[in-house]
Amino acid sequence: MTRLDTSLHDRRRAERLRDPEYREAYEQASHEIAQTDQVIRTLDALRVEMGVSKAELARRINRNPSSIRRLFTAQQARPELALVAAIADALGAEVRVVPTTPAAKKVVRERAGSDRDPVAA
Amino acid sequence: MSGRRGKQPNRTEPAALDRRPPWAIVYAARDDGISPGLTFLDACPGKVDAEFGAVLDAVAGAPPPAFSGGGKWEAMHGDMGGYYEIRLTGPGREQFRLFCLLENGTDAQLTERGLHKPALAVITGLRKPWRTTLSANDYAGVRKLGDAYLARLPRRVAT
Repeated sequence: MTRLDTSLHDRRRAERLRDPEYREAYEQASHEIAQTDQVIRTLDALRVEMGVSKAELARRINRNPSSIRRLFTAQQARPELALVAAIADALGAEVRVVPTTPAAKKVVRERAGSDRDPVAA
Repeated sequence: MSGRRGKQPNRTEPAALDRRPPWAIVYAARDDGISPGLTFLDACPGKVDAEFGAVLDAVAGAPPPAFSGGGKWEAMHGDMGGYYEIRLTGPGREQFRLFCLLENGTDAQLTERGLHKPALAVITGLRKPWRTTLSANDYAGVRKLGDAYLARLPRRVAT
């Protein structure tokens, strides 16, 4: 029985990650994706924990049940923040922005400083 | 050892496939060996290529039906039902789309396809200026590639 070599993606990624610009873009994208995924999965886990069906959740926030189903199964891209906030509220939770570590903040400030247009600043 | 029974007969059933994430990521190849998806990614700006890679890895790590891909992975509908697309914006708001299929099924089905685990199959990609739409012919071209890929057992993928 033929067994395909499926390692190309891993090898290509490893090769590309040697490029610092690629690595930075990959890591930044991965971090952003992970944050979004975590928010949606946490809300879905909270929904399950509280015994709220998707249909009931949709009713609570006056949305079409299919929009909730599509959201939790990644059938619809780019979840709206307003929808996320409404779901959180309906589940007795809230969406927060939490500052990251001081070291991370320093990197952001340094990057902002190097990008700043001296005339506009 | 007394009481030891005879040597166990060799099992003939294949071992069950490993279905745990991450799934594999494969690049569909045409009969001439060229992979349109890989060619597309190689021609993308580096940052866009990196972002496609990050989305693919995220989805492979938490495959459907879990929410995954940061909202950039989307199931398609209508004539493109069964396909998934990754939608990204590049420099100058140029739009980049990567079209994928899910390879899942019974162990026997996956084995017949040459896969040792479920997979995301990258079929091809398209790019377009901002505020323009892909044509029916564009999508038909994607489906033609996808149909050719699905018709092959085992699958033909870039290696």
